[in-house]
This record gives sequence, structure tokens and C-alpha cells, in this order.
Amino acid sequence: MTTTSRVAQTAPPAGPNNPTSAAGTVRSKSRIDPTYYWMVVPVLALFAFFITLPALVGVFFSLTNYAGYGDWKFIGLMNYVNIFKDPAVLQSYIFTFVFALTTTVVVNVVALAIALGLNAKIKWRTGIRTVFFIPMVLSALIVSFVFNYLFSNTLPVLAERFGVTPLATSILANENLAWLAIVLVTVWQAAPGATIIYLAGLQSVPSEVYEAADLDGAGSFRQFLSLTLPLILGYLVINVILGFKGFLGTYEIIVGLTGGGPGMATQSVAMRIFSGFTGGDYSYQMANAVIYFLITLLISVIQLRLIQRRGVSL
Amino acid sequence: MNAALPASLLSRRSLLRTAGLAGAALMVPLSGCGAPPAAQNGVTTLRFMQNKPEVVDHFNEVIKDFEALNPDIRVVQDFNEGNFVPGLVRNDPPDVVTRGFAQATADFVKKGIFADLSDMPVAKTIDPKMQELVNSWGQYNGTETSALPFSLAAAGVIYNRDIFEAQGVSVPTTWDGFVAACEKFKAAGIAPIYGTYKDPWTLAQGMFDYAAGGALDVGEFFTKLNAKGAKITKDAPESFANSFGPALPKMLQLASFSQNGAASKNYADGNAAFAKGQAAMYLQGPWALSQLVAANKNIRLGSFPLPVTNNPEDTKARVNVDMALSITRNTPNMAAAQRFVNYLLEPSVVNTYNEKNAAFSPLTDAPAVSNPQISGLNAAVQEARYFQGAVTYFPPSVPVNNYIQSFVYSKNGEQFLAALDDEWRRVAERTAV
Repeated sequence: MTTTSRVAQTAPPAGPNNPTSAAGTVRSKSRIDPTYYWMVVPVLALFAFFITLPALVGVFFSLTNYAGYGDWKFIGLMNYVNIFKDPAVLQSYIFTFVFALTTTVVVNVVALAIALGLNAKIKWRTGIRTVFFIPMVLSALIVSFVFNYLFSNTLPVLAERFGVTPLATSILANENLAWLAIVLVTVWQAAPGATIIYLAGLQSVPSEVYEAADLDGAGSFRQFLSLTLPLILGYLVINVILGFKGFLGTYEIIVGLTGGGPGMATQSVAMRIFSGFTGGDYSYQMANAVIYFLITLLISVIQLRLIQRRGVSL
Repeated sequence: MNAALPASLLSRRSLLRTAGLAGAALMVPLSGCGAPPAAQNGVTTLRFMQNKPEVVDHFNEVIKDFEALNPDIRVVQDFNEGNFVPGLVRNDPPDVVTRGFAQATADFVKKGIFADLSDMPVAKTIDPKMQELVNSWGQYNGTETSALPFSLAAAGVIYNRDIFEAQGVSVPTTWDGFVAACEKFKAAGIAPIYGTYKDPWTLAQGMFDYAAGGALDVGEFFTKLNAKGAKITKDAPESFANSFGPALPKMLQLASFSQNGAASKNYADGNAAFAKGQAAMYLQGPWALSQLVAANKNIRLGSFPLPVTNNPEDTKARVNVDMALSITRNTPNMAAAQRFVNYLLEPSVVNTYNEKNAAFSPLTDAPAVSNPQISGLNAAVQEARYFQGAVTYFPPSVPVNNYIQSFVYSKNGEQFLAALDDEWRRVAERTAV
């Protein structure tokens, strides 16, 4: 992944296959160092064998009534037709998209705020940075089990003692609020990663522009809005795209916190798909997976177009 | 990066090349794994997969005794039930299997995974009513016996004998008596029932299955529902909406007797709290007993079947065939597998296992259970006043436990039963083709 903010965007990358640099001196194939092939081909083969091939097998079985074992036969597009008639699947899509959108916004606001704070000349900056990055190295499943305990036991006891009745029962047991707990834990876990990218972005902004702005009498909010934000826009786009893509596949934090409950309130698409493996519903959930893949592909393509317009390359 | 590599990097390049070759080589051995162990020196090796990791040691002893009597057979125990389906996919399943018998295992039966055991002499020693619990799920080719029950778990209400005695409450035999007992505990400031709503399965096997099993004939209901197949409509007499209605108010009444904050407690919390005497009753099966004793070795526990009507004759226990023995159809070691199954169903082996594990033996002439923790369920089991839990009839793709949890929170019974009808119909439609 390379990132170039708009100011830094200058020389086009030159490579052996780049048509502009190769103009005039056409290189023959034999002059390409075979080492590069040794680097790429095994990975490509492994990727094809372990990712592409199983995915194609999954697409194939989505056209059958295969339960994961035993006999099966072709049933055409019946699984796909049934998916669209299944309100439980629709509900999981709505939940997942609302969750991913909310979490992306909150993560980026929080991460940008933390990055601005950590980029300023404050006391014990290194120590504080370390503290903020600890959530990133912890396993999401363990984090969610710890928060599960806090929400279910510690928080209700505290709330009862201080007379905050709405919080006296666990918010994980509330069908309307449980998703907020999941957003909170996801943000806690995902913000450090985004913060690192923002810090890198903030450090690439030359200090001269701020000095100039100071001379012009711009306040710090104006400086942030008119200087910092446009200059790190590339980093913002990267964070939004990577974050949104990740949050669409959310799984382990939900498993650790609510297990998809209470009721059906926090079932994400990934959880529904995975339930097909244990539930004898393999081909049906494979059809669900194919549909979800197409949707995420569409979103990625749209985002990539947006990035290219912003001059950032992934 | 397009500059020519300096000569000093040559060695590094050859290193990369080696790494690449190694990466390619990784893919070669993948096709070579999974060869089954063959018989060596006339000793047949049986793979025995059993579904309860907590009794591995017990079965190791059983296997040791068996091998001493049968030196030509070696038995390897595998307690990772998750390997079963992958084994089927690889066409290399274990020879002898124990499984909890419910919808999922019934699906394997329908696909003809297991051999017919009806000709084995030991099949005649099984209580026909318990065999019927297995057969009622459907038999392969209509007549085959694909599994023999080995252990029957009976669940009812676990109660704290000390609290019952201190409050002067005797074991209730009618619904009204049960409600009166709950009111008495409540008045004394004791939580009548410990609820663990955070784990939806506890609601499903507890208040839902108990109330439904007492209010209607669950087995018959699902037989009729399955016979309807995908043609089921919402207003059909076989629907959930038209059959489960009477059970729901009783569920909600049971829920109202739970302690405050039951929604934030899970099964582990429940075991810890009940062992400390924080409630009089606990809607759990025998699997919780060892946990409760582990948390408080002085606790005095008993069980009774929950009375759901005011006729004591109607009171039934929820049972499940916790372990059923099967032999896989394509095993190359059929004779050895049958000898092992015969040995496991010898009265001394099967009765000892069930006595030790708070369960009921499937043999017709098994002695009555003496364990005071479950002896309260003796009469119900011996008179065959039992049912298999309604939730066990659902295909695993229906998240029925979550729907039950939703219902307990929202108290909207109409919506709950309509959702079950819809889910059932959708699964029936897509599996019917």
C-alpha cells in the first residue's frame, strides 16, 4: 500500500512494464529478473489454491441443495430466490450496514481526535501513544469477552449504586441498545489502527504552512478545517475504505459480546453465512455469501473510483 | 526498484529462489494425506468417536477392559465431535459413533450414514419406549435401526433441598401447587427460579421446552408438521400459531418468578449463584448437577418434573437421548465394531456409566436410579411420562433459541409464533426441492 497526499503527488511510478518509461527502449522479456517471478508466482498459486478455488467451489454449490455432506442435486437459482424472500437475512443486512456506517464514522472521528492530540507537543507523548495503541495488539475476541463481563456485571452494579436505573440491567440484554455496545467495543479496538495512519498523515504536513497560517491570523479550528483536513484527505479516504470493508465482515466481537442476540437483534451477515456450515444450510448460505460478495465488490469498485479521483493509490 | 541488482545481492537472490521453490513445494504433499490406518498383525483398529469430552477418562477405562477381553481389537477414542462431518466428507468416518440424538443426527440417519443394528441381539435388551425416542425421528428405509440409545438424560426442575425444607415447601405435583410454592419463596425474599436469559439455550431447554412439553404432545405435533412438508400455511391446524398458544402464558409466568436482572446472567453465572443458594429452583438438566456440586460440595439437590397442568398424571420430564450408539455403514471393520457395541451395552458397562453420570440406562431391566439428585425423576422415566424437547426438533438453521429469547423480552406471543411458522416454512421450502 502506498499513499501519496495531493501535495506529494508528483512522479508517476516507474517500472519495467510502465509504457512511458519503456518508450523507445523496449525491454525484452528475458531482461526481467526472474527473482520477481519467484516472489509472485508461489503466492499467486497459494492464493488461487486456498482462496480462489474454494470460492469458486462455493459458487458452484450455491446452485445446488448440498447440505455440506451426503447427496445433492442442482436446483438452479432457487437458493438466490429464497434469500430475497427471507426477512431474517434482510434484517442481518440492515444491521450490518447500519453498524458498518456508524462504526466507520465514529472510528474516524475518534482516531483523528486522538491523532491530533498525540501529534501535539504534549507531556509524556511517547508513553501516552503506547497506551493508546495497546488495544490494537489484543485479540478482538478476548477484548469482547472482557467487555461482556463489564457490561453484564460491573456496569449494572455501579449503575445501581449511583441510581442510574436505565443502566441497571446490561445493555447487552436490550434489543434496541445492544448494537451500540458492539459499536463501542469495535471503536475501542479499531481506533488505534486508524490513529497510526492519521499520525503518519499529520507528520507529513510541513510545519511551514501552519506558520504561514499563524501569520495570516487563522485560528486553530480554521487551520484544522482549511489546512490539516485537506492535506490529510488521502489518509482519511484510506481509513474510511479499509474501515468500512473490515466492519462489513464483523464477526468475532459480536460473538464475544452478544452471540447475535438478544433475539435476532445483532446478527451480522458474516454470522448468518457461517451458520450455514453447522446448520446443514451450506448451499443456501453460500448463495448468501455470493450475494454479499457482489455487494461488497460493488462498494469497493465505487470507492476505488473515488480514490483514483483523489489521487491515492492502494 | 527497476535498477539492476548489484552483484552483492546475488546470494540473496538465490535465497529468494529457494524460498519460492519451498513455497511451491508446500502444495505438493496436500494430496497425500488422509490414508486410513490399516490392520496390523491381525489386530483391528477401531475408531470410536464419542460426543462427551467430560467422560473421556471413563471411556478410556471401558476401552482398556474391552481390549483385555478382545486382544485382536484396538480401540482409539476420539472425543472431538467436530471431526465427524469432515470425516464423512473425506469418506473416512469413525467406525463406532455416539451422538446426542436429535434433528442433526436424524439428518445423518436420513442420508443413510449409519448401519442397521436391528439384527444385533443386544438391540432386544433396550427398552422399546426408549428405542422409540430414536426411531420417532425417522428410520432409514422405513425399518432400519440406525442407533441404539446408550444414555438417557432426564431434565426437570433442580431444587435446593435446604431452601425447600427451611420454607416448609414440599415438591409440587400440580401447576397451582408450583405457583403457590413460587409465591411462598417470593414472599420470603427468596428468588423462586434462577434465570440465565443471556444464554438463549437455557431459556429454550428450560421454560420453553418444559411448558410446551406439558401443554401439548410435542412429538405428535412435529410428526404432523413434518408430514405437511413445505405446504404448511399459517392458519393450518398444524401450525405453531394454532398449537403453542396455551404454553406461552405459562412461560411468561415462569419468567416472572425469575430473579431481577436475569437478562444479564449466563449459564456459568447461574451455576455459581444457584450453588450459593441464591434461588430455590433452577430449570436445568442433569448436566448442571456436577457444576453445582463443584461450586459448593455441601449443596443438597433434588429434581422433579415440572407440573404444567393440574393433573399429576400429566406431569412429564424432558428427556433427550444423550448418547446413542451407531456404526457407520461403510466401515471395513463391521464385525469388530459390532463386538464393541455389544460390549458397551452389557448391563455392567451401560448401567455403571449411567449411574455414575446422573443419567438413565436404556436397558429394560435396569435398576432404579438411587442418586438423590435425580431420583425424583424416576417415576416419570419408568412410566414413560416423558417428551423430547420441542427445540430439538428444529433444523439447526432456524435460530429458535434466539426467537425464544426475543419472546421472553418482548412478551409478544403472536409475533413469536408467526416467526416460527415463517422460518419453518422457508426451511421446508428450500430443503424440499
